[in-house]
Amino acid sequence: MRTVEVLFVIIILLGAFVITTQFAVLPPPSQAFGTNLRELSQSTLETLDAQGTLSETVFKAYDDSAWGDLQKALSASLPPNIVYNLSIYDLTANSQGVVTYQLANSISDAGFGADSDASSLMLTSPNVTFTQDPQKVGESTGQNITLYILNCSDANGWWITGYTGQSLAADIYDLLSPYFTTTVLINTTDQLGSLLDNSLSEGTIPNAVVLNTFGESVPIPDDYCEGGSHDDEGFDPAHDDDGTYAKYFHTLGSLTRQYNWTWVSIVGYPFYYVTNTDCFDDKQNTYGIYGMEDVRRAGVNAFLQGLDGAAYSYNDASTASGVGVVQLTSEALDRCNYYGIYPAPYQTSSRALTDDILDDYHLDRFATVFDLKSGRIAAATFRHQAGNGALTAIGLTRIPDIRVTALALLMYYNPTVYRSEFGASGTSRLVTLQLGQQGGT
Amino acid sequence: MAGATIDHMISLTILIAALLVAMMTYNGLFASAIDYDRNRQVANKAIDLMNTMCLSSGNPTDWGENASSPVLGFGLQDPRVGGYALSPYSIMRLNTASSVSQLVEYPPDSGVFYNNISTSYGHAILTPIGDCINYTTAAELLGINGTYGFNVDVTPTLDVTVKQDSIDPHLKLNVTVSGSGMPLSGATLNYYLFHVESGTPFPSITMPPRGIAQTGSSGSVDIEFPDVVGTNPVYSFIVYVSLGGVNGVGYYTCNTVDDSTFVVPLIEGYEDGYLNLILAHSGEILNPSEDATAYYNASFYTLTSDFHLQQCVIPNSTGVLKSGVEQLYNTTRIYASETGLLVISYVDDEDKLGSVIVPWGVGALGVSASFGSSFGSGGYDFVATELRQVTIDGISYQMKVSTWSLSG
Repeated sequence: MRTVEVLFVIIILLGAFVITTQFAVLPPPSQAFGTNLRELSQSTLETLDAQGTLSETVFKAYDDSAWGDLQKALSASLPPNIVYNLSIYDLTANSQGVVTYQLANSISDAGFGADSDASSLMLTSPNVTFTQDPQKVGESTGQNITLYILNCSDANGWWITGYTGQSLAADIYDLLSPYFTTTVLINTTDQLGSLLDNSLSEGTIPNAVVLNTFGESVPIPDDYCEGGSHDDEGFDPAHDDDGTYAKYFHTLGSLTRQYNWTWVSIVGYPFYYVTNTDCFDDKQNTYGIYGMEDVRRAGVNAFLQGLDGAAYSYNDASTASGVGVVQLTSEALDRCNYYGIYPAPYQTSSRALTDDILDDYHLDRFATVFDLKSGRIAAATFRHQAGNGALTAIGLTRIPDIRVTALALLMYYNPTVYRSEFGASGTSRLVTLQLGQQGGT
Repeated sequence: MAGATIDHMISLTILIAALLVAMMTYNGLFASAIDYDRNRQVANKAIDLMNTMCLSSGNPTDWGENASSPVLGFGLQDPRVGGYALSPYSIMRLNTASSVSQLVEYPPDSGVFYNNISTSYGHAILTPIGDCINYTTAAELLGINGTYGFNVDVTPTLDVTVKQDSIDPHLKLNVTVSGSGMPLSGATLNYYLFHVESGTPFPSITMPPRGIAQTGSSGSVDIEFPDVVGTNPVYSFIVYVSLGGVNGVGYYTCNTVDDSTFVVPLIEGYEDGYLNLILAHSGEILNPSEDATAYYNASFYTLTSDFHLQQCVIPNSTGVLKSGVEQLYNTTRIYASETGLLVISYVDDEDKLGSVIVPWGVGALGVSASFGSSFGSGGYDFVATELRQVTIDGISYQMKVSTWSLSG
């Protein structure tokens, strides 16, 4: 009886062993590696198209000799133990924009075994030119909007570590000038004075966008400095011990309201310093950057007073503070794809404006770039409710990411981009190259 | 009682036997699995190395044409083209010599050595070994020093063979094009023949017109030059081949001088975007004790993207070189960022002529290169290889990276 039990145990043991062995099918070590067919396929397609030959061939008639050359080129390129199948798919789009792929032609030299892989390449016809034409800002409303970029050679930047105002001006020019009918670089503070005096001959001053690339500091013309011909519009001797240039920012706010400008601050605390390397050659911002003087928190308050049409009243209450990491709004993410501008979706805001300014200065918030956090707004455009003037403030920490600025402005003005349709019939073809390895690995 | 004991003994024996069989089998399975996993790691490392070398330019990105700053990252991609395009200059800065005997010492006994990227001596600009990246440095920059060994082979995809078919009544050359061992018919050939003729005292070499031909069904074509007559024609011939997006290059040189008389260009240094070159008499390198003189005439031709040659003016394009009696050399310079061909014609004391074509940028002459350690370095039993198609200066190449583990 026990012998029977033992036999049962042995049968169960052996059964378990056989079943386990059946399931534990491991590949032999030699099969650990075969040529990476996908990458070989991808590199083959890319090198065949390096000089546009593949793009030319796949759009030719199927009886053209170029197809034979392509087959010879494939055979010559690939090792003898690699077999291939090149398939070309035509793209057709219906009226609803749904794209379908139809096999147009294929070249093959043998059948495939089990071991094969493929890659693909989208090719566009060399006879088709794809264009991307942005609508000019203001075109839809009949406005002629000029972009003025402050590029003053006699000014220094702050909170733009790693850059200069001039280098940022060049970059922002490249990014935004296609969207504006006229883009003007303001190369000196004197030229800025002409802009403020409405005597600048270049561009159209009303409805303009004025973009300050100097970070937390704002260039100031000589005339608005203490002792200058317009110092009553720039300098307030009655506050902040030795006087303050908060009044200059009030003037900027008033002019922004008067001319319906959109003033753009690209990073940090807006209107925190004034800068002019001539007027402030012996003054520094307490961090060793000469050519500027601090106005501190009173600057943005004075600007907003001017934007609101209120009289100047010195106010150094805190308006901006840090909220940590902020995330792009869904609207901003959508616009990133639309305009092809991709800043990091998570950024750190150390100078987010409080939403109290909306009530205090009669502002409406538009084009919010980052989700609100702790009742603060990291980046948005604030337009006065009377419809005159706006402030785009990017309250992120340094170093500046001008793509955020560009995105904020494009979100605000929302120009249309007219693109050629890549999926239109006859303009694009999908080429797939399937490779297989013969003779084992 | 005795029966039960026997039963137990039998059952125990069978049980132990079954367990032993199971353990032995499982042991084999585990060993196989461990081997598989180890090989897989090597295979993944091969892919990783290939991607790093093929798809990154290194740091600084222009390290191939600028030796002023140290190389902090190793990559061979051409930063101006991107994709699967390799820098023609970075490859020229690889120390491809596997032993000191393969290096060229110039001046003799100076201790200054030069690397010859080309397998054919005298057909490449020699790079000072101090400016080259050696295998150990590359392995350190790739983060595999002491853990993995590797070898990189860069070889042209197309095999273009040129041979002199006949010289009577005029010069006739035969060009054969093949790929993967298969002759290629219908390939388009763009070719140049640099015909060298004697002059006083410098030989003349003129910018030739471009010729076009096409290979026949056998993958070859005869090209005739009715203007080149005589029993001892001296010339350099270069041909660029295109077929369905695959490009290749071949060349052929015919001289009447001894091999020891040719002119050898060596890199003196990189300066302000230029490549300073030393033009030395090869006698100074191969046989310094013998007196020899060569009058040379050098021209540099840049290579355009559609395989046209454009002549560039270079300083000291003509001169005289001596060896043996005194060390006499000349210097010239070319643009470091323009690939092309340095074509040098020369004449010796006995009015025998010769010419040599040397490329700046490996693609211009379809030079192949092999860089890395040898498989015989031990410590491995599995070599993973990774293959990609690449282009260098528009010429199609295959790049193969072989990788093995050094940890045993």
